[in-house]
Amino acid sequence: MSAEWFFRALHEAASSRMQELNALDAAVGDGDHGSTLVRGLTRAATAADGRRAKAFMRASGGASGTLFGLVLHEIERHLDDGDDLAKGLERACARICDLGEVRPGDKSLVDSLAPAAGALADGKSFAEAVSAAEAGRDATRDMRAKCGRARHVEGGGVGHLDPGAVSLVMMLETLAREPVS
Amino acid sequence: MKKLFNDPATMVDDMLDGFVSACPHVRRGELDPRIVVRQRNRKDPDASVTLLIGNGSGHEPIAMGFVGQGVLDANVVGDVFAAPSADLILDGIREVNGAAGTILLISRHSGDVINGRAATMLAEEEGMQVVPLLMYDDISAAPPERRAERRGAPGTMFIYKILGAAAEAGWPLERLTQLGEDVRERTVTLAAAVSPGISPLTGQPMFSLPDDEIYLGMGVHGEPGMGRVKTGPVRNLVEEMIRRLLDDRPVAAGGRAAVIVNGMGGTTMMELLTVWAETVAALASRKVRAVAPMIGSFVTTQETGGFSISLFEPDDEMLEFWCAPSDTPAFPKIELTDECPA
Repeated sequence: MSAEWFFRALHEAASSRMQELNALDAAVGDGDHGSTLVRGLTRAATAADGRRAKAFMRASGGASGTLFGLVLHEIERHLDDGDDLAKGLERACARICDLGEVRPGDKSLVDSLAPAAGALADGKSFAEAVSAAEAGRDATRDMRAKCGRARHVEGGGVGHLDPGAVSLVMMLETLAREPVS
Repeated sequence: MKKLFNDPATMVDDMLDGFVSACPHVRRGELDPRIVVRQRNRKDPDASVTLLIGNGSGHEPIAMGFVGQGVLDANVVGDVFAAPSADLILDGIREVNGAAGTILLISRHSGDVINGRAATMLAEEEGMQVVPLLMYDDISAAPPERRAERRGAPGTMFIYKILGAAAEAGWPLERLTQLGEDVRERTVTLAAAVSPGISPLTGQPMFSLPDDEIYLGMGVHGEPGMGRVKTGPVRNLVEEMIRRLLDDRPVAAGGRAAVIVNGMGGTTMMELLTVWAETVAALASRKVRAVAPMIGSFVTTQETGGFSISLFEPDDEMLEFWCAPSDTPAFPKIELTDECPA
């Protein structure tokens, strides 16, 4: 099955939550996380098969476009080519930690991604992986940021969810709605 | 502030139209028009290692001006002051890659590093052999013991040229990568900014500085460095800069250093030649010979006033590659200027 349905559904989800994501980002960053996601997903939804995550990187722009694009790249390979999702998410997580110089606990998308990838690697179901990601997302509320613009915010953004961790969960929740063919 | 553009949305593409039609050395990429590819005397990418770099625009003539025989095989052009996206750099790698492999040069700035390394990972997934080579030389960005945290500054041009010449001479990928790292370890740069450039994005000055002050160690996008000094004869400023450069990476008495005096866009050739003359004198007073200079405005930030000095202590082979002939739109001929070469 092609990844088209996923990118279309994710575009719809991100569009309906754009203001919420921008508001979350405004508390800890420059307030454009929802808009940049939607900009990238608008292109990805209509791109050619096999080029969707790359279209996202191009249109979304910046380092965050690249890092989220690496997650979407693995999901796209899983849906298009049947590549193993557990290995893909693990690889994306390792790459993001390496490129973004970020670790679990730093208040970033990795705090959602790493628990999900870990759950799948342990042989748990996708639903359990999504729950693990949601718990990781909720834990970012009490974290002090060690990466990104949030570390320059007073208090390191403590008391606010990390917008990247929130949108990463949105990606996994969208993937969980895979239509029965 | 007055700027000669049509539309902010097309300014980079308008510039590229002009560049490509003026320079028969290059053409647009087949995969994307934001890629400038070497056209004249192309390499056989299965026989010779290819070199490319991605960078934000607004710093011309670097790097598109160095695409051609003896330097780069391609340049991936981002928006103004913004790194090109990973997938665009990946397209650039696809344009030039062959069985001999490719080196992706990366000037060490956050967006360039993340997008360039991500592009390398994606290229390897597709079976291409690509090595990312990080370049950094700005001594104001981190102390010598943390040199790998430094920014890329105009001294990176030593790597472009020396690797370009060695690739042309048929050096294989692994040896070229080692050569690039060796040149990097021998290169230091320090900049002095006099007056701000105007951002084409905002129309506003990129920093502010009192009339009687010069900023030491500013990055190519106006990033902070060492701090302010008072204006005075340029001799004193150059002496201070050479002292700091040699403190950071000493050159022994009796040694030699190749030099780049780079203008930031708003500084005249008259001033840059004066800086070079003072550099020769400051090095001579320490019994170091200044050789093979590259003098001019190559890495610019719009009309920023100021310059940088880069020192590089070459071995004989590196110096030969640095002075090798090249044929690109903007890389100058480098003359040895040394009566008794080693």
